[in-house]
Amino acid sequence: MTDLKIETRDLDLFYGDFQALKKINFLAHENTVTAFIGPSGCGKSTLLRVFNRMNDLIDNVKISGKAYVDGKNIYKKDIDIDELRKKVGMVFQKPNPFPKSIFENVAYGLRVNGISNKTYITDKVEDSIKKAALWDEVKDKLKKSAFELSGGQQQRLCIARTLAIEPSIILMDEPASALDPISTAKVEDLIYELKANYTIVIVTHNMQQAGRVSDHTAFFYLGELVEYDETKRIFTNPKDIRTQNYVTGRFG
Amino acid sequence: MNHLDAELKNLNKDIVAMWKLVIDQLFKSKQAIENFDKDKVCEVLASEKRVDAFELKINMDCENILALFNPLANDLRFVLAVLKINYNLERIGDYSKGIVKLIKNADEPFEKKSLEEASIYGMFDVCLEMLTDSLDAFEHENNEKVRGIFKKDDKLDVVNKSANKIVASLIKHNPKNVLSYLDILTIVRKLERVGDQTKNISEEIIFYLEAKMVRHMKVKEEKKEKKDK
Amino acid sequence: MNTKKKINQAIAFNIFRLISLSVVAILVLILGFIVYHGFSAISWEFLTAMPDEGMTRGGIYPAIIGTLCLIAGSMVFAFPIGVLSGIYVNEYLKESWWKRFLRSMTDNLGGIPSIVFGLFGMALFVNTLGFGDSIIAGSLTLGLMVLPVIIRTTEEALKAVDNSFRLGSYALGATKLQTIAKVVLPIAFPNIITGLILSISRVSGETAPILFTGATYFLGQLPKGIFDQFMALPYHLYVLTTSGTNVEESRPMAYGTALVLIMIVLVVNLLANALRKYFGKQVKMK
Repeated sequence: MTDLKIETRDLDLFYGDFQALKKINFLAHENTVTAFIGPSGCGKSTLLRVFNRMNDLIDNVKISGKAYVDGKNIYKKDIDIDELRKKVGMVFQKPNPFPKSIFENVAYGLRVNGISNKTYITDKVEDSIKKAALWDEVKDKLKKSAFELSGGQQQRLCIARTLAIEPSIILMDEPASALDPISTAKVEDLIYELKANYTIVIVTHNMQQAGRVSDHTAFFYLGELVEYDETKRIFTNPKDIRTQNYVTGRFG
Repeated sequence: MNHLDAELKNLNKDIVAMWKLVIDQLFKSKQAIENFDKDKVCEVLASEKRVDAFELKINMDCENILALFNPLANDLRFVLAVLKINYNLERIGDYSKGIVKLIKNADEPFEKKSLEEASIYGMFDVCLEMLTDSLDAFEHENNEKVRGIFKKDDKLDVVNKSANKIVASLIKHNPKNVLSYLDILTIVRKLERVGDQTKNISEEIIFYLEAKMVRHMKVKEEKKEKKDK
Repeated sequence: MNTKKKINQAIAFNIFRLISLSVVAILVLILGFIVYHGFSAISWEFLTAMPDEGMTRGGIYPAIIGTLCLIAGSMVFAFPIGVLSGIYVNEYLKESWWKRFLRSMTDNLGGIPSIVFGLFGMALFVNTLGFGDSIIAGSLTLGLMVLPVIIRTTEEALKAVDNSFRLGSYALGATKLQTIAKVVLPIAFPNIITGLILSISRVSGETAPILFTGATYFLGQLPKGIFDQFMALPYHLYVLTTSGTNVEESRPMAYGTALVLIMIVLVVNLLANALRKYFGKQVKMK
């Protein structure tokens, strides 16, 4: 068994009085892809945002229980959130490149983390774009605005941007839901390739996507982690009737 | 490489390995009969376990691929074909096992002359050829080669039909050996079944390659259909 | 039926067109009127000479310089403060009574009549702080007056920045300050410049706030520093039309002054617009 990268123990999360997550016990091992599935509002995105403390940006969020990344409790007082976010990268639902050049988009993460060595930045940018399988499409227009790229290319640029700061965990919040089928397939192939070096957690509404890209799948319902198992188990022989109803499309 | 492609490639590798194992089993059963070689019998019985394991694994892989990747078009036909080929190969493995068990239980070797008279060796060779051809056709996606397999199966049917008479006359000439002769008849029957299974496999290959159901369709009809087109 | 609909459409459409045309017409009329009367007064001497002979001769040079000084002075003071407050309110404050209070105070500040600013400026800058009647007192007073405009436009400009940019930046380990400085502000800056343009227009046109804080109707020489009294175009215009020694004779000069004032506002606006475009290009939205 590989190393444990992410773990939560009896994690509760409240938005004001509303309990969005109930006693979540979850863990993910190194170099695996875990998919979070479940109906809208089930808490899957909320849990994802626990791991890089993105929930901190929302008012009135209360968390109890424990969450660990690389064995460290990330809700301890002395944790450096910016450092945590360097280690736990995130790709969003809508591609959100900055209104900067393609190059600067990828270099941004390096610059804000205090790196100013030009050759290092140039090499790292190229390397990251290559890893995101985008290099051939953009190598001649690195100075052009990122907004000139197609939606799918923008999303891969956002992945490249994340890779540049060398995270070991990548969180993806419905990374392909705003993309056309071909771009979606490219992003999925990319996830499959990245698995060798990163631990990936992906939230998706698309069951087939969960099937295609993930090793493990967690099904959430009303803030509860209902079932968590190998993806093939969840898809062929789920234990909980709610999971079965969800994966077979007979929900509600 | 695409994740689904990787899975399909894996599946392909497994089914080919199983195929080779089954061919090897049949070949060894032939040797076991020819030389009354009990070691070979053990080898066949041992590899039967591996064939069974393959069958389970391929079955599960197909299930997973269908559930996780929702393959379509040629990918879908490939998985469905493999699923059925898997079943047929396992049956062929069982027939090999059945044949070597007869040898295991026999006290003395079968008479060479009787075996030849019942065309056992010939049947083995045809079966092996058919299986090898089918594997070759599958690996190289060669639909012409598949068509040849159907004709070879016809040969087996001819032998099978005449087998009753041949064995009856053998018994008449040497009633003392009746049990051994009945074993020979059983072997003929089993080899004929191997031929049928191989034919089924070929039909699956055609389904995979051409999306055509040739099962329950006579070769002649198929030819006619081809001409009509 | 169909024709009736069409006629109704045509009537409505033409009414709209007429109304908007009349607005343009009034504007053209005013400008035309001023250009027509003022153009003849404009000369090199008019722009570069001191006023003379009870302001019936000479030029308006000190007034031009005075107005430019006021624009520069008030913006140096108000722009950074306004932008920083806008950033504080929009980026740092959570939705709370304090934020609502700050907002309503800003709005109230914007609603105060300019003459009250003048009085306040006199009390605070001229007397209490002892700046005397001076450019700095006038600039600060004007600056105070336009602060709400700048704060508000900054806030709106920041609010218009899609939150996904901020999230994207935080997710890369950027601090809040880095996110604001490197991502949010560059995107919002072209729109913040709009606030600058609006404020400049107001500053160059206001008379009341400088009335008690340093504007004088006649200077024989240019101010030597920021603590000197000054002339300003709008006040000069007022003096020329109401209380000159010979109102009738200085009338052409009044029109000329008005024309120059309008031209200055126009030129400064064009400059600011160019600035806006420049910053717009720095952020590669397309």
